[in-house]
Amino acid sequence: MVALTGGRESRCHGCMSNTPVIEVERLNLTYGDFHAVKDLSFEVRRGELYALLGTNGAGKTSTLETIEGHRRPTSGAVRVFGRSPQDRRAVRPRMGVMLQESGFSPDLTVRESVGLVGRLSRRTDDVDRLLDLVDLTDRAGRKVSQLSGGEKRRLDFATAVYGTPELIFLDEPTTGLDIQSRDAVWETVDRVRENGATIVLTTHYLEEAQQRADRIGLMHQGTFHREGTVSELTRTLPAVIRFSLPAPAPSLPLQAVVDADGKVMVETFALQEDLHLLLRWAQEHSVELRGLEAGATRLDDVFRAISS
Amino acid sequence: MLSIASSELIQIFRNRLVLITSFIIPVAICVFFVRQHETFATILSLGYIAAIVMFTAAAFGLYATAVTTLASRRQNLFLKRLRSTAVDDAGILAGLLLPVVVLALVQMTAILTALAVVAGGPANVVLLVVAVLATLAMMIGLALATAGLTNSPEHAQVTTLPVTVGVIAVATWVGVSGTEDLTLLKRLLPGGSATELTMNAWNGGVAVTESLALLAPTLGWVVVAVALATRLFRWEPRR
Repeated sequence: MVALTGGRESRCHGCMSNTPVIEVERLNLTYGDFHAVKDLSFEVRRGELYALLGTNGAGKTSTLETIEGHRRPTSGAVRVFGRSPQDRRAVRPRMGVMLQESGFSPDLTVRESVGLVGRLSRRTDDVDRLLDLVDLTDRAGRKVSQLSGGEKRRLDFATAVYGTPELIFLDEPTTGLDIQSRDAVWETVDRVRENGATIVLTTHYLEEAQQRADRIGLMHQGTFHREGTVSELTRTLPAVIRFSLPAPAPSLPLQAVVDADGKVMVETFALQEDLHLLLRWAQEHSVELRGLEAGATRLDDVFRAISS
Repeated sequence: MLSIASSELIQIFRNRLVLITSFIIPVAICVFFVRQHETFATILSLGYIAAIVMFTAAAFGLYATAVTTLASRRQNLFLKRLRSTAVDDAGILAGLLLPVVVLALVQMTAILTALAVVAGGPANVVLLVVAVLATLAMMIGLALATAGLTNSPEHAQVTTLPVTVGVIAVATWVGVSGTEDLTLLKRLLPGGSATELTMNAWNGGVAVTESLALLAPTLGWVVVAVALATRLFRWEPRR
């Protein structure tokens, strides 16, 4: 049975539930006078891939680090598996963390680094299998200081999925990776999701979130600007049809504006119907719609709308 | 904790610079004092040599290395990485500091044993052990506090100077002039009472109960240093 969520096919086969793995209630974080996170509330359910996105300085990292237990809330509550994230002994063996920056000792080898973090996380796994998974087998005996940026990200990813934890935080997991490595990372994420893992993702690659997230929290200035599935977020903005018209042209059947490039722009919440209407009008009046472009609203458009 | 400690030990032995500045140089200084023990014993006392080699090993081998290690692990986010695991903060610090503490203890034991072999042993071995352990505790506490003020391993070269030079200067001052004058000041300065305790343990001639009272200022420094460390210590670099 394949679960359908928000118009996209979930990779989690029948394992998503409404049980919250993460509960954030009225979270506030301040640094001196700066209010980084304001009254933020949300839940992440078991088995889902939740993407926390936002503009620079929106409060994503502060929120994520509070959930991971690296910071204490100024006010409000955060629970992971029903417990405080500060309760490391209870919570950490069940969660894997991929930090935004590497955080490995440069003098340890790749194998030693994976083994150390794995052991300290109180999970068990085969280090060789993991190194093979992230294509670092031939680097196993090298010091971390000798790795490239992309190889360090892969090493970080290997420690996050060590022992297949129930909850995995992926902070910019594919930044600096080539296309093959990105694909390998997402393949592994799909695999751990098949085992029921819950993923919390932050990324600047919006297409990755659009393709993979079950739900998205879009942060701006310390709080959620919007939250929901991709289709729920994108349906709040109109789709756009663009074309050029030869002059003179009969009046259009739809409301339109002319943009700075002289192109006609039609904004619509009923893309299919309006596109059909426009094409029929063009045929009836023998008008060529030059450079016709029409596309559904993308996450990038929503993102640009909140940051503008 | 032991996993962290063993990884630290590996890193120490892989980093030649740390190995030389933290372990070879202090041992070399201590060897000089032991070789020249007759000269120093004539001018001062064997107890002074014991105190000065103990503080040389504690200041360079333990204190400066611990501060540099903690600043370095913080700067490259290794501390943050460790805090992402199931180990609690005390376990992380214990794991990071255990190797340098053990190595400093080995240094001190080896050099004091060498001194005992070439120049004659201490009057009270147990008291000497107490003095060594109290000194180690004080220097660890001071290292944790100093690490809170240290942004990077390079910065540690500056921030460790006051305590490193200070305790050796105090040990020398107490060793040379004794504590008959300015008694309270000399005993309250970091390293002052520990030096006197070490000299009493090696030279003898002072009642054990009287010597044990000298533990109080050293342990007081441990409390002060831990209180400071609780306020100052940071797990992540400043943004």
